[in-house]
Amino acid sequence: MSFYDKIEGPIMTLGEKINNISFFSILRDSFMLAFPLTIFGSIMLIISNFPYLGNLIGADALATLQTMLTPASLATMNVMSIPVCLGIGYYYSKSKDCDPIFGAAIALTAFLIVTPWVSGAVVAVDSDGALTGTTLLKSATVMTTDRLGAKGMFVAMFGSFLAAYLYCFFTQKHWTIKMPDQVPPAVANSFAALIPAFLTLCVFLLISIVFTFTPWGNVHDFIYTIIQAPLMGLGESLWATIIAIFFVQLLWFFGLHGQIIVNSVLDPIWNALMLENQNAFLNHQTLPHIVTKPFMETFTVGLGGSGATLIVVIMLAFFMKSKLLKDVGRLALPAGIFNVNEPVIFGLPIVLNPTIAIPWIVAPMLSVTIAYLAMAWGLVPYTTGVSVPWTVPVFLSGFLATNSWKGALLQLVQIGVVGVVWFPFLKALDKQNCAEEAEAAAEEAAEAVEA
Amino acid sequence: MKILLACCSGMSTSLVVNKMKDAAKKDGRDDEIWAVGQGQVDAELPKADVLLIGPQMRMMKKKMEAKGKELGIPVDIIPPVLYGRCDGQKILDLATKLVEDEKK
Repeated sequence: MSFYDKIEGPIMTLGEKINNISFFSILRDSFMLAFPLTIFGSIMLIISNFPYLGNLIGADALATLQTMLTPASLATMNVMSIPVCLGIGYYYSKSKDCDPIFGAAIALTAFLIVTPWVSGAVVAVDSDGALTGTTLLKSATVMTTDRLGAKGMFVAMFGSFLAAYLYCFFTQKHWTIKMPDQVPPAVANSFAALIPAFLTLCVFLLISIVFTFTPWGNVHDFIYTIIQAPLMGLGESLWATIIAIFFVQLLWFFGLHGQIIVNSVLDPIWNALMLENQNAFLNHQTLPHIVTKPFMETFTVGLGGSGATLIVVIMLAFFMKSKLLKDVGRLALPAGIFNVNEPVIFGLPIVLNPTIAIPWIVAPMLSVTIAYLAMAWGLVPYTTGVSVPWTVPVFLSGFLATNSWKGALLQLVQIGVVGVVWFPFLKALDKQNCAEEAEAAAEEAAEAVEA
Repeated sequence: MKILLACCSGMSTSLVVNKMKDAAKKDGRDDEIWAVGQGQVDAELPKADVLLIGPQMRMMKKKMEAKGKELGIPVDIIPPVLYGRCDGQKILDLATKLVEDEKK
């Protein structure tokens, strides 16, 4: 048994385990549900903040445009916890063969029950977010949208899972009201959901009441302070980011989809970080985080796919002598532009190829460090929190994610560094391949002579 | 024949789908070949004669094999190098062989 076989077993098991944990797979699907909505919000946000747009159409027109387009991001990214709740409730109930639409509605309601409502008073704040005074509105009951967006993300996640779990549990215990067969199914279903919904929501109401007696005052502040903020702090550190990239590369080296496994765990954190940046960007405040979901998409995957292989594919296609390497490069280039790089990963192959294991693992770790430091030192602006799909080609993605040409320039620098790290190893691989190809050609020639 | 391919989001397998369709056309065959992400496999599987999984998602294999067995649909992993080089012809041959073996 070779060295690789020995490592592959446990890695495969790990991948299988994480991929099959229903918590993560449901969460993944729920974020996918929110994805088209956040893209819509992001595009409108990009348009209304396009660099130098003010110079083109004038400051007044720009202000009007921004006011007109703001609802697009307010209604999507600022309240992203709502679709996440609906998704979790829906997909969890579906996996348990319970009526999913009720599961979704109950999950959202349960989340809203534990979310603090503010009655009577609307607090006015100035542009820096400081309290300027309290204005009493006519008996208004309001909920601040930050609870429904970035800040409430983890409550939404855990709460929805608990709500959906309870709903399915009570339903499967058959604590339901049975209707005679003549009753239309839609009516019968709403009665079937009555008792499970009632009990589930009672639990959440109870939780909400209990928390008013704690120092935090509500579930949101408890989860945010104890779980979400520390995890976000950890997730946005350079070390955590480098370790995440290391695992992505290692898993891919064994031919397993690294992102799907690592992102399952880290997406909730990266998404919450993204939403906080987006909130700040919308309110023209200082952006708080370097590492966000778009940072990970744009400055790691966005350089040609996992392992930043666009430059590798280009070097293969145009700077190698071996026919095989040239062919692989040319085949992989069109997809590589859109950051799909399975052709080069499996075609070269990169998988289990000891000659190029070092650049495969080291180059992306180095490249993400450069991106992080460039932002930390203020050379490149932070990501604005607009959602940039990972299939957007390089340079365009860097520009969109940071709302600055410097984002694209950073990508260019990263590509250069990745290329320099890879080049000697590719040359070695080229030499190997050329020798093999020459040998094969010689054999063929010899056979031809014999024949 | 109905051939279903699955990967993480159905993105990279769709490259293979196109090559397989070309190969099928060349052979004068009328196959239905399509790719989905892992979230949709459960729903799509009953419509297929065979399921091929991208090698990077081979951690799905065990789960899918169990489902395939219930439905009598063969499931296999696409060999990595064929996948990487988008060898539509050979992957199509593999699918054909799997379906024929299943019939035996």
